[in-house]
Amino acid sequence: MTALLEVKNLTVNFRIGSAMAARLRGQPPPDLKAVDNVSFEVERSESVGIVGESGCGKSTIAKAIVGLVPISAGSVELEGQPLTEKRDQATTRRIQMVFQDPGSSLNPSLTVERTLAELLTVHKIVPKKEVPERCGELMDLVELPRSLLRAYPKRMSGGQRQRVGIARALALNPEILIADESVAALDVSVQAPILNLFNALRRDLGLTVLFISHDLAVVRHVSNRVVVVYLGTVMEDGPTEQVFNDPRHPYTRALMAAAPKFGVKKEPGKSALTGEPPSALDLPSGCRFRTRCPLAQDICAEKEPGLVESETDAEHLVACHFGWTEPPA
Amino acid sequence: MSEHLLEVSDLRVTMQRRGLPITPVDGVSLTLDRGEILGIAGESGSGKTLTLRSILGLLPQGGVAEGDLRFSNDGGPPAPFVPTEVHGHGISIIFQEPMTALNPTMRVGDLIAEGPRIHQGMSKADARNKAIELMRLVGVPTPERRARMWPHQLSGGLRQRVMIATALSTEPKLLLCDEPTTALDVSVQDQILGLLQELRVRLEMAIIFVSHDIAVLGELCDRLAIMYAGQIVEIGPADEIISEPKHPYTAALMASVPSFQGTSEDLQGIPGHPPDPAAFTSGCRFAPRCAFAQEDCEQTSYELTSMSDDRATACIHPEMLAQT
Repeated sequence: MTALLEVKNLTVNFRIGSAMAARLRGQPPPDLKAVDNVSFEVERSESVGIVGESGCGKSTIAKAIVGLVPISAGSVELEGQPLTEKRDQATTRRIQMVFQDPGSSLNPSLTVERTLAELLTVHKIVPKKEVPERCGELMDLVELPRSLLRAYPKRMSGGQRQRVGIARALALNPEILIADESVAALDVSVQAPILNLFNALRRDLGLTVLFISHDLAVVRHVSNRVVVVYLGTVMEDGPTEQVFNDPRHPYTRALMAAAPKFGVKKEPGKSALTGEPPSALDLPSGCRFRTRCPLAQDICAEKEPGLVESETDAEHLVACHFGWTEPPA
Repeated sequence: MSEHLLEVSDLRVTMQRRGLPITPVDGVSLTLDRGEILGIAGESGSGKTLTLRSILGLLPQGGVAEGDLRFSNDGGPPAPFVPTEVHGHGISIIFQEPMTALNPTMRVGDLIAEGPRIHQGMSKADARNKAIELMRLVGVPTPERRARMWPHQLSGGLRQRVMIATALSTEPKLLLCDEPTTALDVSVQDQILGLLQELRVRLEMAIIFVSHDIAVLGELCDRLAIMYAGQIVEIGPADEIISEPKHPYTAALMASVPSFQGTSEDLQGIPGHPPDPAAFTSGCRFAPRCAFAQEDCEQTSYELTSMSDDRATACIHPEMLAQT
């Protein structure tokens, strides 16, 4: 059975700097590999969390899936059909995105009703005379009062705006919802019900959700599978409970150790990870995490580890030479 | 050494909004001991940042702070001070966004050296050496080379370290931190929190750390103050507040935080919105959203009541929460 969404060896390069200057120096034009050979599958009604630090390429993966950035190599397949950057309306409708900052991603000069009605009419989702009713239903779906349909985005709170952002994505009856840091700008008391809403949408509508976040606790709450990304490649991929209870990649372990936890006091001068990620323009040889890895051995500099599944569980994959064995002391 | 380093009593910040006065900070009182880390937690609009900035007189235009502020720079009893004059003389501040807070037209070494040169009259060469020494202290690798760089050439974590070095350059007794790790990745945030703990021990410096992230505050702080709608609703030792909140707002806030250890059960959240500063009442401002509210909650005026030696809550019915 093919998965609903399959990302196969996805690579996204960004050309940076001047190609002319490079040619004069007799070098190929510099490319920044934002996403490097990333593969994962998303089953229908699954919720997959993609976590990583800023600059690791998690948002670029999302943009490549919806077709907002060109794919340099590899493919994104929807039910086995490769998606290109140019896609027809019907395909566009199937994958929708919710952005981080609803303040800047909603048109400030349109009321909520016009924002939603425009989508419903342009994509001919419902007959014209049913548009107002459908707008109301969408508001119910995201748990907003219908009276807000006449409001402008600037009159609403951050949480309400984010709900409108979700309603806008749902207006096109998508199969896949991609949430790119959708709760990062919200206070926890507002964030909590929105996370619950994502869970409810998945449960009630059978929606497939791709949840992109830097916050491990948030991802744990909304996903049943998590993909950990570092410098454009997948480090670990597995069922949420397993990855959180028994992280196999030293990077995943360090991320978890770094996240603040209740009831733990910070020790002076101690930190889980030292240094910062190397530049994506100048990647270390072999494993790209080895410069910060507490387990690094000679082999890590020589050979880049591929994703290897666990002997006991084919769902749990780790890209580390010592993922499933103990490293030599 | 029972003398406090800083005493803030009945701080009130008044601002004008469309011609009408509002009071986003309304009667905040707190004390800070030498070498202590106090966290102020609250959501957007709770007045936590304005409280912090009033200590240095850094209010937005039209903002007026009233109240009794006392600070002891020389080890004596805390004395009244002029907020705008104490910046660089015993108190320093670091901000959330190091890119906008650092002057982009100055090399980072000169930025750090500026404080000692202006406030302590240090010579140019001495100040430069001090800058490099401070960069080493806050963990900037190859400080001699980095001192000649511009702020935009540094990563976010290094910029935040440079800002801390700038703040430390005038040898403060008190460092004010306004969400300094919010814009950083968890791994870098973890490093900065470790650095602040280390500096507190090495320099015997007190810290007031403002953040919306209770988990961060729990890791770092000795004491914690929870703010809601311009008032402190609960204050006490950080561990105790987190393990056993006495105010329903604190409890609800804790139940909204997605946890690492927890399961994917529904998070609680808090229904409704915080009140607008124009509609602040004299009674409990959390009562309309409170699951334990009683009839007299909105009538009884705000007062922070001591529960024990070091804990106080503004809830007049703490027994309601205790029953659950």
